[in-house]
Amino acid sequence: MAAAALAHGLDAAFARNAGASAMSADPPLPHPDLVAAIPRLRRYARVLTGDATRADDLVQETLARGWEKRRLWAAGTDLRAWLFTIMHNVFVNQRAVNMRDAQNVSLDGDGESGTAWQLPVRAPQQAHVELAEVLREVTRLPREQREVLVLAAVEELRYEEIAAVLSIPVGTVMSRLSRAREKLRRAVGEPRTDAPAPLKIVR
Amino acid sequence: MTPETDDDLHAYADGQLPEARRLAFEQAMARDPALAAQVAEVRRQNASLRDAFDAWLAEPVPQRLLDAVRPPVRGATWRRLVAPIAASAATLVLGLAGGWYARDAALERAGLPTTFPRQAALTHALYAADANRPVEVWASEEKRLANWLTRRLGFPVHPPDLNSAGYALVGGRLVAGAEQPTALFMYEDAAKNRLTLQARKPPSGAGDTAFRYAVEDGVGVYYWIDDHCAYALSGTLDRAQLLAIGRLVYSELAPEKK
Repeated sequence: MAAAALAHGLDAAFARNAGASAMSADPPLPHPDLVAAIPRLRRYARVLTGDATRADDLVQETLARGWEKRRLWAAGTDLRAWLFTIMHNVFVNQRAVNMRDAQNVSLDGDGESGTAWQLPVRAPQQAHVELAEVLREVTRLPREQREVLVLAAVEELRYEEIAAVLSIPVGTVMSRLSRAREKLRRAVGEPRTDAPAPLKIVR
Repeated sequence: MTPETDDDLHAYADGQLPEARRLAFEQAMARDPALAAQVAEVRRQNASLRDAFDAWLAEPVPQRLLDAVRPPVRGATWRRLVAPIAASAATLVLGLAGGWYARDAALERAGLPTTFPRQAALTHALYAADANRPVEVWASEEKRLANWLTRRLGFPVHPPDLNSAGYALVGGRLVAGAEQPTALFMYEDAAKNRLTLQARKPPSGAGDTAFRYAVEDGVGVYYWIDDHCAYALSGTLDRAQLLAIGRLVYSELAPEKK
């Protein structure tokens, strides 16, 4: 859905907005296409950080950079992919700077006790339980697999776009995707029963 | 097991396998039920991931994030540079823009119906509850309805026949969408339970998708993109019933597109 807002380019959206403040170079309105991208950025930031507050900090930093660099975005390309790339770079840089984080190389399991992975209570109870299990198992994947899985399965980016976002070869995208799916499949289990699932061991 | 690679399996399930390889893969699937089952499994997993993660999209956006995508107030700098004569006009412009901005922000916080399933659910709730005028053109004029909506949407649409599921066409109308006008068809069963099927042009570049499910304010929505059209089937049925009707819609629409 967000993609529809992207076709006309950030500068076209600028022109629309600029009508409201014809004499100023920058419109005072929030950029509509960037606003439209926020929910997906927040979601991906949670996948990366596993923590709702840190996720919104990351989104804010990403949006600030996206805003600064908005004229560098190539019209016609996927704005989400461009923003995910910025977010990935901000995230990686922050981790490199922060030695404490750097020592803790993998974020596996970070989110398990965090608020980031709680589902908003919207779905009916039955579905809620199943979806919560899926979310929980996703948090247990190594971050490298988690991000590829979410970008491919949830954001439906093309593999080449994912490779560009993460600065890795397409072959690496494929192998991470394959491993993530296999792990998740084993963890969630094919036939769902109503009996409370025993704790599954994930290696 | 098969000459098909693991990469092809994922690419096929994700709808990313190039045309030439796709045919070969489909032939391999026809030969090898295990391969077909693997594809189905990946697609099931994708659907449940989307179900799980899509719920997050509906959360209200914090103000600080909205503030990050507009310039800081530049009125002060700006006014220093421009002749005083323009200052009052500028203030007025900024004031108006600020008011408009506040409205946008308020809408964002209130949960703007930005996603297709959400919009579909809200539209469903609005018209399905209308006893007297749920549709603009009644089923008695089905042909006129289809012609009108086809003209307005810019591609052929027509209401699928859901009688085999016990749902008869009530009629249809044109509704506003976020980017594109949307066609709405309403159906009703013997107990007066109503379903709506909404169809519109998907965002440019969007490929076909599997069925996805969302619950928005108590309304269940199955939505998918097929052959350059985005569909949303909404109703207060349980998920399995809605899915069964979704499959019927899909099969009713599929043959005549070829």
